[in-house]
Amino acid sequence: MARHPHEAAERTGPPEVHLSDREVMQDLAEKYDAACPKFWLAVAVAGGLFALGVLAFVIRALDVGLSDSSRNEYGYYAAAFAFLIVTATTAPLAAIAFRWTKNHWRRPFSRAAELFSLVGILAVLAFIPMLIVLPGIDLNGDGVLELGKDRRTIWFSAPIGAPIWWDMAGLIGVVVCGLALLWVSARPDMAQIAQVSNGLRARVMGRLACGWQGTVRDWNVQKGQMAILGAFYFMLLVWVHTLISLDFALSLIPGWRDSIFAAHHVLTGIQASAGLLIVVLFLMKKVGGYDRYIGVDPFWSFAKVLLGVTLLWGYFWFSEFMTFWYGRDETEQTVIKLLMVESYRTAFLLNLFFSFFIPFVLLLWNGVRKSVLGPTVAGASVIIGAFFMMVRLYVPAFNIKDVGAESIAEFEAAHGGTAAQLLPVLPGPLDVLMVVGMMAGAAFIFLLGTRLIPIMSAWEMKEGLMYVLYRPFMKGKYLVLGKPE
Amino acid sequence: MQEGRALADRQINRDLLHTIFTHPKWQWGLIAFFGIIVLGAMCAAGYMFNRGLGVSGLNRPVMWGFFITNFVFWIGISHAGVMLSAILRLSKAEWRRPATRAAEVLTVFSLMTAMLMPLIHAGRPWRVFYWVFPFDWARGVYPNVRSALIWDPSAVFTYLTSSTLFVYIALLPDLAVIRDRSTGIRRQIYSVLALGWRGNPRQWKLQIIAGVLLSALILPVFVSVHSIVSFDFSMAIAVKSWHSTIFPPYFVIGAVHSGVAAVVIVMAVMRWLYGWQEYIRPEHFDALGRLLVVVATGWFFFFVLEFFFGLYSLEADEIAVKDFLSAQAPWSWWFITFVGTTYFIPVGMWLFKGVRRNPGLMIIACISVNIGMWLERFLIIVPGLAQKQVMNFTYFTYAPSVVEVVIVIGTFALVCMLMLLFAKVFPLIPLYDIKEGEIARDEIQIGRRKVPAVLREE
Repeated sequence: MARHPHEAAERTGPPEVHLSDREVMQDLAEKYDAACPKFWLAVAVAGGLFALGVLAFVIRALDVGLSDSSRNEYGYYAAAFAFLIVTATTAPLAAIAFRWTKNHWRRPFSRAAELFSLVGILAVLAFIPMLIVLPGIDLNGDGVLELGKDRRTIWFSAPIGAPIWWDMAGLIGVVVCGLALLWVSARPDMAQIAQVSNGLRARVMGRLACGWQGTVRDWNVQKGQMAILGAFYFMLLVWVHTLISLDFALSLIPGWRDSIFAAHHVLTGIQASAGLLIVVLFLMKKVGGYDRYIGVDPFWSFAKVLLGVTLLWGYFWFSEFMTFWYGRDETEQTVIKLLMVESYRTAFLLNLFFSFFIPFVLLLWNGVRKSVLGPTVAGASVIIGAFFMMVRLYVPAFNIKDVGAESIAEFEAAHGGTAAQLLPVLPGPLDVLMVVGMMAGAAFIFLLGTRLIPIMSAWEMKEGLMYVLYRPFMKGKYLVLGKPE
Repeated sequence: MQEGRALADRQINRDLLHTIFTHPKWQWGLIAFFGIIVLGAMCAAGYMFNRGLGVSGLNRPVMWGFFITNFVFWIGISHAGVMLSAILRLSKAEWRRPATRAAEVLTVFSLMTAMLMPLIHAGRPWRVFYWVFPFDWARGVYPNVRSALIWDPSAVFTYLTSSTLFVYIALLPDLAVIRDRSTGIRRQIYSVLALGWRGNPRQWKLQIIAGVLLSALILPVFVSVHSIVSFDFSMAIAVKSWHSTIFPPYFVIGAVHSGVAAVVIVMAVMRWLYGWQEYIRPEHFDALGRLLVVVATGWFFFFVLEFFFGLYSLEADEIAVKDFLSAQAPWSWWFITFVGTTYFIPVGMWLFKGVRRNPGLMIIACISVNIGMWLERFLIIVPGLAQKQVMNFTYFTYAPSVVEVVIVIGTFALVCMLMLLFAKVFPLIPLYDIKEGEIARDEIQIGRRKVPAVLREE
């Protein structure tokens, strides 16, 4: 890539602005080559916990089986799976969205966001047991969908393969699309690594780069591919969030009719994945050795986005709660009691506290937003909040046995108090191991992925250098940002 | 994002103030034309007040018709001001500059127009006096503060007050420019309005802080207004198809959709009427077109969820409303028109860069959006009410009367007339914002290409 003539005289800004193309490439290649012992320790710990999680799942499956009747034993498993969807699977969206809007501050984390596509492989595998325990639609098997006898689903009279194959197809689609996006985006870096490395790595990277030469045509094709794959990823992701949230939570709670729920699920995914990426950015800066490439700007800008999404999260929740609470409908009151104010009150309060109050109070202040630690704490908070949200939604949904009832209000009426199906369920040791294992598995795959593909996109960083200058203006020096068409 | 040539301050003053200092006949002709339509609407409203609501098409159980549809529509249009001005100002989007003032002014005028509708709809507007000053607390004759219908005016008036303040704060530097170029009584009036603006660093600092603070404070108000309007419907569980949790964000995003489309129409008309091709350029329409694609798609997702959950309930009366709406003529034709004009036609057009950069085609696409969004409100309100439900003993379908149609047309004329009158006394494009943009523009040389760039304060 050509260098512009102003560089030596005018680049006086943050450290990364001083680097030349060659220095950037060399430095990033060195970081990619060298992995410190701490990294391998982290991989080993994550791998160990993942193995324990798998073991816990096997024990549970051997103990209680894997069917519709044992669905209540997999509530926390479902919550962990949903958590994986709202965090890791949604993360590539950040790279897509900020590339569309041409934000320069995206450059240090866009590859890390795309690398989370690899975690999608784990999500697909983890989805199989979920599909097995999902109850059928036509419960009495008479071929007619009747309220009170069969359950409400988004599939109505069940088109062929619904919901299992449609849900799986959606998830596989989003994962394949994400992996394709990762590959397309990483091709220039792979070609560069193939040139500067030798041995097996050079051969593998050379193959994966698929003849990338860096010609104008190559770049134009890559730009087009990224735009198309990004658009598909976005649509598929919204579709998958909608399917999973409605099939595995909402439709399992009889009478719960909540039109904002799927949109809220998508929004929680956007919020939690933003939090996840801020935390990853922090780790890259403080532990990963990428300090010179990651200034305060990405944290500051991402914090503004996180604040906006957090406010929207609160607004969506309020819309849901207010409509149900004000309406005084018996079923809706029971739904509120179950998911928010009685059975899962603790999880709900933690959810509200971590997803809304902490990030809102922190990010309200520009001083906090314009720091490294402030957005990171807020990011970690929304991740925790998202986890409790998944717990309070999926655990109760998986614990309702009579999914064919017309309304959960019937359970209360029949029981004369809170019905057993609506009582809170605390996690056992195996549940804890499965949840931790699922998260550790995601971390394990992500960490290994960074050994295959560099976590920082060298070509995007180099491109960014061309568009950023510091120029004198009146008494000060100002940042000049290029915005190409 | 910089296609126009560099403009000198002197030229900016001359170009943007000529609407105030020159008096072409067509301007007064146009104002008179809209004035006559407004007069017609006033006569229709007067006739209705005199004869009673019987002259409208409202009848049991459809007691909300064109007037309330129009109220929701104009509240929706008002969302453009904040969307473009506050959000884009906070996010430092450069292309906002020529659009902000028109958007803010449109907000104020559409809110004023919207608030006329419930008064007209009430049939006896003078009785609002009892609403403000309840006369008989002892017998419980007072507004029920727990009703969404009471929250509505509070929210709308808060929004109107803050929007007016927002417009005024942003107008101050421009008012001083007009003051310095005026003489006589006009100079005295603008001197009072400019509040002693001299353009010193302290004043600029205060103006910027006030702008940022108002931008941030007005955002929750903006969201709350249409949310509360949606509560008018979603809190009423008796009317099937209204009680839906997605209504607040669905209404807000729909409002942003129609509001931004309305701003595009205003900008294209301004460009054509006042010859502001140097200021409102194809790149601005392009940016607004892209924004509209995102907003429209978000709206469509919400629309699908809203419609779908009516069916998901499997409740007969909910399904009956959706069936009535989408499968029974003539409602089904209106429904198809609404979906087509709100989403498929405009978004299909905006996918092409050539369309986004063409003001004429953008006007067509944006008019389509607003036709669709008006119909959307109509189709939310009337089919739900027109169904026979528990405790309905008489029920009819609804057809608007001539009186209602004239009044609704009058509201459109009123907003157009007020915009034209505003342009006669204040600049519709903020001079200082354009000048600031000229200072911030830069270019970066990359190889043989020059890439547009902007100056940013760290």
